[in-house]
Amino acid sequence: MQIHEDQQGDVQIFALAGQLDTSTAAAFESRLLGKIEAGERRMLIDCAGLRYVNSAGLKVMLLAAKRLDAAKGKLVLCALTPSVLMIFEMIGFNNIMQIVPTREEALRLFRGEETPA
Amino acid sequence: MHEGSITIRLATDLREIERLNEMVRRFGKLHEIPMRSLYALDLALDEVVTNTILHGFEQPDGHELSVRVGVAGGELHGELVDEGREFNPLTVPPPNLDAPLRERRVGGLGMHLVRTLMDRLDYRREGSKNVLTLVKRIC
Repeated sequence: MQIHEDQQGDVQIFALAGQLDTSTAAAFESRLLGKIEAGERRMLIDCAGLRYVNSAGLKVMLLAAKRLDAAKGKLVLCALTPSVLMIFEMIGFNNIMQIVPTREEALRLFRGEETPA
Repeated sequence: MHEGSITIRLATDLREIERLNEMVRRFGKLHEIPMRSLYALDLALDEVVTNTILHGFEQPDGHELSVRVGVAGGELHGELVDEGREFNPLTVPPPNLDAPLRERRVGGLGMHLVRTLMDRLDYRREGSKNVLTLVKRIC
């Protein structure tokens, strides 16, 4: 899986491409949690290129969400494909994480211009 | 859609799951199985094989398991056979889905997905083998 890191203002953006599964989850976890440990508090995970996620990957998302929540930070996920969104909804992650359709909407959430539906 | 089946033998090594995914997808393409059903079985097999490799053996090294994938009668079947200790993954407790973020536990997510994605699940112990059957109706 490719992880492309970017930044917009103080928002750390991770764009994922490929599969987030048992063989790639650990590397993603260390990148994400590393940023949090370094003091970053606002993170966006862009899932436009993510075509498959399993429970190993879902655990990483949950851990990141918990860590940021505990640190009064903000995590937003955007651009999930229908299959991946279905998986997130099956385990109720849509109730505990902010998931929006586009990167633009996600960045608006960070700017405080829009309240999520 | 075309009927048929394949059997894949895997070493009990998590790195083998990528190969399992590839073979399931190739099977799906050859047999023209609708994407949504195939995706569900692909992920469910990923989860149960992972569970078996991680929890099904005292010593995971040097063992093998087999996965049979088939399509017949409008249903997609997966069957996982291994010779690990008696282990029924269907008894893994469900995650606390309704809990707020702070109280959500990481355990049980994989098996919850399996139970939700599949239409039928069956576990039986046959001699020294665990046999887990997963069925997805094709729509």
